[in-house]
Amino acid sequence: MKATIAQYYAGDSPLHRLDPRAKFVAVSALAVALFVRDSFAGLAVYAAAAVLAYVLSGVPPAWFWRAFRPLLWLVALTFVAQVVFAPGEPFFSFWFIHVSSRGLELAAFLSLRLVVLVLVGSVLTLTTPSMALTDGLAWLGRPLRRLRVPTDELALMVTIALRFIPTLLVELDTIMRAQRARGADFRRGGLRERTRSLVPVLVPLFVLSFRRADELALAMEARCYRPGAARTRLHPLHAGRADIALLVATAAVIVAGLLV
Amino acid sequence: MSRREAAASAAPRPSGLAGMSLACRDVSFSYEEARAPIPALRDVSFVLPAGGSLALMGASGSGKSTLLQVIRGLDAPESGAVVLDGAAPVDVGYAARQREVGLVFQAPELQLFASTARDDVAFGPRRLGWPEDRVSTAVEEALDVVGLPPAHFAERHPYTLSGGEQRRLALAGVLAMRPRLLLLDEPFVSLDPGTRRQLVGILERLKAAGVTLLLATHDADLAWALCEELLVLREGRAAAAGAWDFSAAGGRLLAANRLREPFFVELWRRLGRDPQRAPRTAAAAAEDLS
Repeated sequence: MKATIAQYYAGDSPLHRLDPRAKFVAVSALAVALFVRDSFAGLAVYAAAAVLAYVLSGVPPAWFWRAFRPLLWLVALTFVAQVVFAPGEPFFSFWFIHVSSRGLELAAFLSLRLVVLVLVGSVLTLTTPSMALTDGLAWLGRPLRRLRVPTDELALMVTIALRFIPTLLVELDTIMRAQRARGADFRRGGLRERTRSLVPVLVPLFVLSFRRADELALAMEARCYRPGAARTRLHPLHAGRADIALLVATAAVIVAGLLV
Repeated sequence: MSRREAAASAAPRPSGLAGMSLACRDVSFSYEEARAPIPALRDVSFVLPAGGSLALMGASGSGKSTLLQVIRGLDAPESGAVVLDGAAPVDVGYAARQREVGLVFQAPELQLFASTARDDVAFGPRRLGWPEDRVSTAVEEALDVVGLPPAHFAERHPYTLSGGEQRRLALAGVLAMRPRLLLLDEPFVSLDPGTRRQLVGILERLKAAGVTLLLATHDADLAWALCEELLVLREGRAAAAGAWDFSAAGGRLLAANRLREPFFVELWRRLGRDPQRAPRTAAAAAEDLS
């Protein structure tokens, strides 16, 4: 079993080298524009930009597909819901289903919008290590510190949580193997039985996690971590010309999408 | 009779276990990774007779744990076959034989989950569908064998036990299923010397009872003390399989795999004696030298 949640693809494309803050701002702005603009022409512009970003990222299609696959259901559901519930003159009716051309159009538009959104978001997470992303978010959240929001601590918490997800998955796998070696079968039985067989798996996982949290806190204190203290970074964030170029290009794409 | 022998004979013996023979034939296995599969075992072949004992050694990452899991059937080999008691995977009764292979994982904290030691040890036997009276007999016997007398330990919470006790409890959980082939993954790691000696005693008694033993370890002394044969894995391949070999070539092989000779073998070599006939225990060495 392998972790597909932290889906960063280690590479060295132009997009990998960009500052996480610039990427995050660009993706957020594009996402907002995607939802504001409601014409196929605008959507086409944004889709083209997303495809260009994907090509530049140099990430193999299989990785995108893996990030995308769990969301297929959502896309399918959106499509069906729109077809079924959209208003308009039906050209085809069966029982409670009334399919109108307006409904089909709306369904196609919303599904496509979702696909583009996922594509843009995946480019961000596939080309940015989670640590860099949290660092970038912590920087962007700095104004909130005036409101006494502990942004650095929150960023550290997220970083630690992300850091231990693969570790936990490996441990989960080992626990399940140890129990399979003693005759447990996680694939047999009904939903109730399967859920029940997970309890013995979760107990050691929780016990271990709490113990590890304790040890990690001690180790951090031993290395002089103090909450609230000003921290420096091993890899300070640097925004350069490429990042400004990204933001300008994104702004241009957004405006173009709004005008067409 | 020495004190240790007296202690061993006083301890309850596991009963009625006939060993299972094991043969791996060109077993290969790879881990699926995102970019390319990582080969972990490549054409591993060896034979372990019923009641025999084999030490599985090799540098970290050489495939020892993977091999144990493939033998237990937790992973299916890509090619080749694990033959249990002469039965190949396609044969009738193979699954039943697989259930008679016990695998003890390295970290006890990943194996214990019930709220009492009794329930934890009973997990395996209950999965085998044994009637409750047979389960409780098996549990008490297993706890006795590993030196955790049920009167004192059965109702304890596993997480309140010491590290060494947890390790033995995990072993009891496997022994309760009456395995005829016992696979142990680094059982001696992070045990204090007293507990280690205790575990050696338990394994010696299991061997004497006829259980086939396959022991993955970095500890050359304990491997030499407990196992007649040696299998060295190197990057997933069997670099050596069979009797221990302490010739010059054998020594080079051990060194190339980040292993060392057992203490008594080195001592015998330095004493100018035949290292191949070195004793396996201090008692045997003392007898030989006096």
